[in-house]
Amino acid sequence: MSAKQTTTSAAFLATLKRDLLIAIKKKNDIVNPFMFFIIVVSLFPIGISPESDRLREIAAGVIWISVLLASMLSMDNLYRSDYEDGSLEQLLLSPHPLFFLVLAKNISHWLVSGLPVVLVSPLLAYMLNLPAQAYGTLILTLLLGTPIMSLIGSIAVALTVGLGSRGLILAVITLPMSVPVLIFGTLAVQSTLNSLSPLGYLSLMLVMLSVAISLAPLASAAALRISVN
Amino acid sequence: MLDAIQFASFAEFLDMGGYAFNVWSVYAIFAIFITANLILPMRKKQKIIRQLKRRMAVDAEIQSESDET
Amino acid sequence: MWLWFSKLGSPKWFYELSGRWLPWLTAAMIIFMTIGLVWGLLFLPPDYQQGFTSRILIVHVAVAGTSLAFFPLMFVAGTITLVWKMKLADMVAKNAAILGAWFSFVTLATGSLWGSVMWGTWWEWTDSRLVSMLFQLFLLIGVISLRSALEDSETAAKACALLSIVGCINVVIIKYSVEWWNTLHQASSPISTDSSSPNGPEFWIATLIMIVAVYLFLSVSLILATRNEILERERRSQWVRDLVLKS
Repeated sequence: MSAKQTTTSAAFLATLKRDLLIAIKKKNDIVNPFMFFIIVVSLFPIGISPESDRLREIAAGVIWISVLLASMLSMDNLYRSDYEDGSLEQLLLSPHPLFFLVLAKNISHWLVSGLPVVLVSPLLAYMLNLPAQAYGTLILTLLLGTPIMSLIGSIAVALTVGLGSRGLILAVITLPMSVPVLIFGTLAVQSTLNSLSPLGYLSLMLVMLSVAISLAPLASAAALRISVN
Repeated sequence: MLDAIQFASFAEFLDMGGYAFNVWSVYAIFAIFITANLILPMRKKQKIIRQLKRRMAVDAEIQSESDET
Repeated sequence: MWLWFSKLGSPKWFYELSGRWLPWLTAAMIIFMTIGLVWGLLFLPPDYQQGFTSRILIVHVAVAGTSLAFFPLMFVAGTITLVWKMKLADMVAKNAAILGAWFSFVTLATGSLWGSVMWGTWWEWTDSRLVSMLFQLFLLIGVISLRSALEDSETAAKACALLSIVGCINVVIIKYSVEWWNTLHQASSPISTDSSSPNGPEFWIATLIMIVAVYLFLSVSLILATRNEILERERRSQWVRDLVLKS
């Protein structure tokens, strides 16, 4: 019993480490979504208005929507290369619960694609003239929200892993599901701006994250078993 | 019972108390929606049966040709 | 019980049973639809606040209420597909997604036609029902496009079943979060959504009749489409060949 326990956690860590190493080697997969995020955010002031008052109002929404789009873009390479070189099949054949292996892949994917976006967001928030008091809330909502998006996106990627061109179908499936995250993420920032406590929204997002962590990998694992056969 | 009809004349009925466009558009959309989703499956069924018949005829022909030779 | 269940799963059995039910359902649909429409268009007195626009609501409420049934229906069908691998459930689910998208679209169209009178605008983001219906439509389109993208029908069946289950959970979360989001933005909105329903027993009875009519329409249309699906997928089986020869 205990031997099996250790091997499952070892497999979890091994998958995590392997994916991180691959991601660091293929820098494009990290850099492109990150650059995409920065460029999209920079387009908004040009398209809407350079006035600082107006930017302040839309800052949180702009950053949140750009994060969603960037995470869509980065999702595409979550299972793709593993599917192509056959290591995904090996993963499915492994004796360890697929739940943990999928979770490990999702975590490593978030570490290389979600976390950099969260870390650079204060800079962009500054450029969009977001008041300084809201920075902390914005980062917290992004820290809670981006993993939810990775976990949900993972289901859609797993369902479409066998398809040739799937960038758009991924967005069509996943973006509508991001509505609750977007709502609570931006509401939390808004309430900070109105000098109200964002704690309620943050705890709701925490609940959503814990539900997503415990359920989404199950769905992703089932989806992988469906698409790879 | 006819007294319960809310309109004195046909023109008044068409006018719908000034909301003719909105009321009649809604009923037109509803009518198109209902008929389309009933007629289209029925026509599709006829098409499927026609195709199946043709295919079975072709199958039978091939069968009889191979019997002759 | 299990015998009954596996019998229900047989497309042939469903085809024969639904063939017997279809005339009755169609007749009931025509009766309810006629009563509802005639009553709605001719006899319903104008609402004291909304005048004759309450006639729009009869249709709109019936379609909107019915379109809420699609994701639960697809959730159940998806579970049956994944757990018991019943082919029939997938055939129903496939057509339910398409019909559900139609329903959601008609709900939005009739809702905005009503809103353009009552609110003075075609689209109103502060109405949470419109917004969540819009996202339900998006989710259904996602299911439909996933089905059309996957070529292998068995993979497509399971994948769509899973997506429907996830989507159903999501629709509920979206509905509540949009409602919440809305109450917080209500202060900036010129509209109070509470004045939206006219009162009076005539209105509710007429609406109830329309709801029954629309549910009957839903089942008739879904059965028709499912029967086509059965004919196409089972075209190699003997009973379909016999059926075609007889017709």
